[in-house]
Amino acid sequence: MDNSRNVDFDAVVIGGGIAGLQSALDLADQGYTVAVVEKDASVGGKMIRLSKVFPTLDCASCITTPKMAAAAHHDRITLFTYCDLQSLRRTGGMVRAEVQQKPRYVDAHKCIGCRQCEYNCPVMVSDREQGGFSPTKAIAIPFSNAIPQIAVLNPQHCMLCGRCEKVCPTQAIDYFQEPRSFTLTAKVALITTGFEMTTLGDKPQYGRGRIPNLIDALQMERLLAPHGPYNRVLRPSDGKVPDRIAYIQCAGSRDKSMGVSYCSRVCCMYAIKQAMLLSGALPLADITIYYMDIRAFGKGYEQFFQNAQAMGINFVKAKVAAVEPGPDGAVRLHYEAQDGDGVSTAEHDMAVLSLGLIPAWNPEGICPLATGPDHFLESPRPKLSPVATVMEGVFTAGAAVGPKDIVDTITEAGNAAMAAGKYLAALRASSARKHLVA
Amino acid sequence: MTQAKEKEKQHATKVGVYICHCGGNISDHVDVEAVRRRLEKVPGVAVARTNMFMCSDPGQELIAEDLKNGVVDRVVVASCAPSLHETTFRNAIRRAGANPYIYEHANIREQVSWVHHGAAATEKAATLVEAAAAKAGLLRPLTPIRVTAARHATVIGGGVAGLSAARDLADRGIPVTLVEKSPCLGGQLARLDRIAPTGERAPELVRALADAVLNHPHITVFTDAQVIATDGYIGNFKLTVRQEVASEAFTGTEACYIPFSGMRPAGPSPSEPREFNLETGAIVVATGFRSYEPRQGEYGFGDFASVITLPTLIRKMAEQDTEGSFLEIDGRRIRSVAMIHCVGSRQIPGIHPEDASGRLNEYCSRTCCTATLNAACRIRETHPGTRVYELYRDIRTYGRGQEELYEQAARDGVVFLRFEPDQAPEVVRADPTDGYPLKIRVTDTLTFSENLEVPADLVVLSTGMEPNDVSDLVEMMKLPVGVDRFLLEVHPKLRPVEMPVGGIFVAGTCQAPFDVGETCNAAGAAAVKAASLLAEGHVELDPFVAEVDAERCKGSGACVEACLNPGALALVEMQIGGQTVRRAQVTPALCLGCGACVAVCPENAIDVCGMTLSQYEAMVDAIVADQVAADALR
Amino acid sequence: MTVPSQAKGNKILVLATESCAYPGADSVGQAHSTYPTNVYILRVKAPVLFPERFYLDCFRKGIAGIIVMSCGEECPYDGAYHALARRLDRVYQAMKAQGMDIRRLRLTAICTVCNRAFLNEVNQMNELVQKPAAGEPGQENG
Ligand SMILES: Cc1cc2nc3c(=O)[nH]c(=O)nc-3n(C[C@H](O)[C@H](O)[C@H](O)COP(=O)(O)OP(=O)(O)OC[C@H]3O[C@@H](n4cnc5c(N)ncnc54)[C@H](O)[C@@H]3O)c2cc1C
Ligand SMILES: Cc1cc2nc3c(=O)[nH]c(=O)nc-3n(C[C@H](O)[C@H](O)[C@H](O)COP(=O)(O)OP(=O)(O)OC[C@H]3O[C@@H](n4cnc5c(N)ncnc54)[C@H](O)[C@@H]3O)c2cc1C
Ligand code: SF4
Repeated sequence: MDNSRNVDFDAVVIGGGIAGLQSALDLADQGYTVAVVEKDASVGGKMIRLSKVFPTLDCASCITTPKMAAAAHHDRITLFTYCDLQSLRRTGGMVRAEVQQKPRYVDAHKCIGCRQCEYNCPVMVSDREQGGFSPTKAIAIPFSNAIPQIAVLNPQHCMLCGRCEKVCPTQAIDYFQEPRSFTLTAKVALITTGFEMTTLGDKPQYGRGRIPNLIDALQMERLLAPHGPYNRVLRPSDGKVPDRIAYIQCAGSRDKSMGVSYCSRVCCMYAIKQAMLLSGALPLADITIYYMDIRAFGKGYEQFFQNAQAMGINFVKAKVAAVEPGPDGAVRLHYEAQDGDGVSTAEHDMAVLSLGLIPAWNPEGICPLATGPDHFLESPRPKLSPVATVMEGVFTAGAAVGPKDIVDTITEAGNAAMAAGKYLAALRASSARKHLVA
Repeated sequence: MTQAKEKEKQHATKVGVYICHCGGNISDHVDVEAVRRRLEKVPGVAVARTNMFMCSDPGQELIAEDLKNGVVDRVVVASCAPSLHETTFRNAIRRAGANPYIYEHANIREQVSWVHHGAAATEKAATLVEAAAAKAGLLRPLTPIRVTAARHATVIGGGVAGLSAARDLADRGIPVTLVEKSPCLGGQLARLDRIAPTGERAPELVRALADAVLNHPHITVFTDAQVIATDGYIGNFKLTVRQEVASEAFTGTEACYIPFSGMRPAGPSPSEPREFNLETGAIVVATGFRSYEPRQGEYGFGDFASVITLPTLIRKMAEQDTEGSFLEIDGRRIRSVAMIHCVGSRQIPGIHPEDASGRLNEYCSRTCCTATLNAACRIRETHPGTRVYELYRDIRTYGRGQEELYEQAARDGVVFLRFEPDQAPEVVRADPTDGYPLKIRVTDTLTFSENLEVPADLVVLSTGMEPNDVSDLVEMMKLPVGVDRFLLEVHPKLRPVEMPVGGIFVAGTCQAPFDVGETCNAAGAAAVKAASLLAEGHVELDPFVAEVDAERCKGSGACVEACLNPGALALVEMQIGGQTVRRAQVTPALCLGCGACVAVCPENAIDVCGMTLSQYEAMVDAIVADQVAADALR
Repeated sequence: MTVPSQAKGNKILVLATESCAYPGADSVGQAHSTYPTNVYILRVKAPVLFPERFYLDCFRKGIAGIIVMSCGEECPYDGAYHALARRLDRVYQAMKAQGMDIRRLRLTAICTVCNRAFLNEVNQMNELVQKPAAGEPGQENG
């Protein structure tokens, strides 16, 4: 429930992606009360924005929504969405999280998610949730399967025409809503703030985001999603059905010049997945993956890779050095094939960059947590206790502690809930002892 | 119950029907209002309402209000797929103080509005909702089966996964018995030295974990022991454990660490084998892996003494632990070592031969790339005179700190050659003039498929992981096994550490290859599920299990014969009307609810609660009702 | 408006397992593929629950075709699939004895993402039940 009256919990979870939701559920099922603080207007993290997920190719939404709903409806879990974490400190044996809720300009308690405001709003805004490919309105429910289903007004684009206020059946619109600050206290905290992708804009070799039809992998997830912007896969610049599609792997990973020297761990598999989904959607398309190594290391992943090869997806071992616009909206790649002769070029109707994963959150100035050279959070004992942090009573899981796929994220989240549960149990036992002695 | 009686009951119930617009998802194709009007007129339906989003709080509130006001006592929601919101609505009903099992779901989005259009979509939606209402009219309140659960867990396997899970559970105050087959704790980690990428010493990690377990007041450890029989069900398993006489006498009064074996607990083992029983509430299976054993002749293995496996190399390097310009193995100076990746992993049908039982290891073993690079870096660091070649297919240094190891290896002068699976390197005896005992012929795709020969004093095969043979446990506990022969979880994302039999969990490399950190995560994830299960001292199970109508049952025993889960159904003697008769009896905690018994009962005396035959018949009747009406007009 | 009545007498009943075929049918919906409206899907835990007479009763009541969509060999209930297959054999015998077209009862396995297989099955059954001999002549295709 999105509710903010009660501010004392056993645990506070920062980040409501799949890691945060799973650990919240595993803690609540052990009997503890949990607050989940999420910066977006909906929980679900990256996963709810994906199309289908490897290696089982089940629909991302179908796996995420039950967990989102279970958390939202759990008696012991409270969701605080659209909230920024201002500080997280340990004082007097408690964790204190200072949180600021951003204004939605919609009263969360009144909104029934009927979308009348969205239907009637005259202002079209590019929809980030659809990769920027289709419009939404200046006031809208974040996306179809968002939880909670509460409209958010975009103050940058709103013209204050007042239509939403008139049509809202529950008088939920509040143009004067202010940010609201409050403090959550808990005995333990879990940091599950996940990842972001590096941005295209700062990559001269990839045209700084100005090459038409060169998109990132999250945008392709939207094109492939059943409720995507076009309901099918089309080339964004001209709506053409693409015939030749390229994947550029390690575009910003394993490459110091791009600032990300490590492996982002999930890109091989999502590229293969997208390629398979594409060849399902566009049976005649030619799909090529330019890669350095295919890292299909998880359970069932190697077979997934073999299946993709059998389906006729081309794998070219090469590092793509530069990309430039080609004729008629095409994308031209320059690459050095490792088993060919030197530098070659190829043209594709469309190309997808498998950009690197970077942490979504930097603890600096907010709480004294340690990060590694890759800037992700770090456990002092990554082998025996991968979910520990340098702060007592603070645990972590998921992509916040290094890039990770969903399966690994979910098990790690379970372990974080175990570690936090143990800590809480020990606290209870020692306070019971104190009680006996006193 | 007679049919007439059931009809009567149907009319006595007050069904509330709630139809969702799903913000246009449904109402763009189905005339929701028309469906509502049609349902309103159905006998037994007390109210029919619509809402923009039934799953929203206001939508759920509609149901709660009607229940609280006594307007309805059965609920049908027509909305999206039940997988999304069936529990949402059951919980809403529970919160309103009613029994959650008076609920039936009609799927008019995924199975109507998203697949059909126009008037026909509305017609079908209405019919499906009528069918759901017909079933709802026959639903009875049910109570979840409450099974008391022994506050005790058993962990099978004492590797990292087992040790870690045992400690987690014990720290939560749950008594644990750990059963380890070998004389020592630590599993395969005890056979390693410095582990990648942290450089920690494996013996220290094993010791730390094993000490914590052996000194834990809530953990009892049995080594040289195995589970030989299982019985019972979630919360109430009965295990028989057999402990053997230790192969080597050990009488130490303190636990001690034996290099390359693991931690040997204190005290003598029994002087003769003994068997004992355990009552336990949950089981964590953590039986781990074994290293792939190359076939005779595979890359020269068995043919040449200087072809060894990676685990052997790790052991030999650790045991001598010398420094010096050149690595020495078995007293031989190694000027050049070639390491071949993916041995016994990533096998491809048609390229790799199957093993004796016709199987291939098609999976990647996940840890060997990094372990191989780790060994290579170590050699280059401590024995700079020894040249190292790595022959690989893909370098899979996916994890944190692993890519750095790859870079370090390249920096330290490890030479990488990449081969295609259908052009596997060949290990052959070198010519006497070559000055080396062996050479490896390889087509290197990194140098435009040049054919190269790598001279070698030592060839190391990076052997992958295979699951330990646990066919006895698989058989006894009905554990599913994947095509890769590892234990198969229910669902990799929804229920990643659960086995289909309630109360049994998997942890670690018995499920799939993992490194140590990932193994600990899996162990914690399994432990948290077991802890949640045992926290309350009882377990609640879905009430969708078979139920016998003792009045109708004649004791034919047909159901017992058809039952798929031995123990769930039995004929027992009971007193009815002063006579001793044999009647079928269900053990709810064991019943799978599949209904195999229902179909065979000659007396219609057994049904699965919440999905009875008459409920299905009522749904079919509703589906054909328009036809029946049309026929009647003719 | 009133709900128009649609084609009668050609209804297809699908018994879909809750762990495989039912989510499979949902997946067809998620893909927004279309199939005939005379297909009615009932969610079942395991179709092994239904006795022989259930199928015969359905036909007698006017159901034109039944497709049992199971999980096949991946059935979560060990042994249920074989028991089901044997049961359906007996139903086929009974259907033959009554002079019915046994193609109107199909046993198949459909997984959670078998969209194409699902569509094939329902379309084939629909073709069969639309044939004049099977239903009333001259009906629309639903
Ligand atoms: C293109 C692409 C495709 C993918 N496909 C697959 C796939 O098919 N299969 C698979 O297994 N994996 C896939 N992945 C990986 C998958 O997305 C991740 O494993 C997963 O999302 C990690 O979950 P998480 O909860 O750790 O992080 P996230 O999903 O990033 O969630 C973190 C949450 O924390 C919130 N947050 C961040 N900072 C704060 C803060 N300061 N305060 C409050 N909240 C905060 C964020 O808003 C977000 O909701 C894919 C990734 C990408 C990029
Ligand atoms: C060559 C090599 C190098 C590696 N290097 C690294 C590295 O550098 N870094 C890293 O992180 N990881 C590394 N690993 C991986 C690491 O070894 C595993 O992650 C870890 O050992 C897995 O632990 P486990 O508990 O799952 O299984 P195991 O260690 O196999 O433990 C299973 C235990 O169960 C017992 N058992 C089996 N059957 C039964 C039964 N029926 N009843 C009772 N007990 C039973 C076994 O005797 C054993 O003690 C390496 C692996 C290999 C092969
Ligand atoms: S980890 Fe590396 S060596 Fe091991 S199987 Fe996978 S790709 Fe081959």
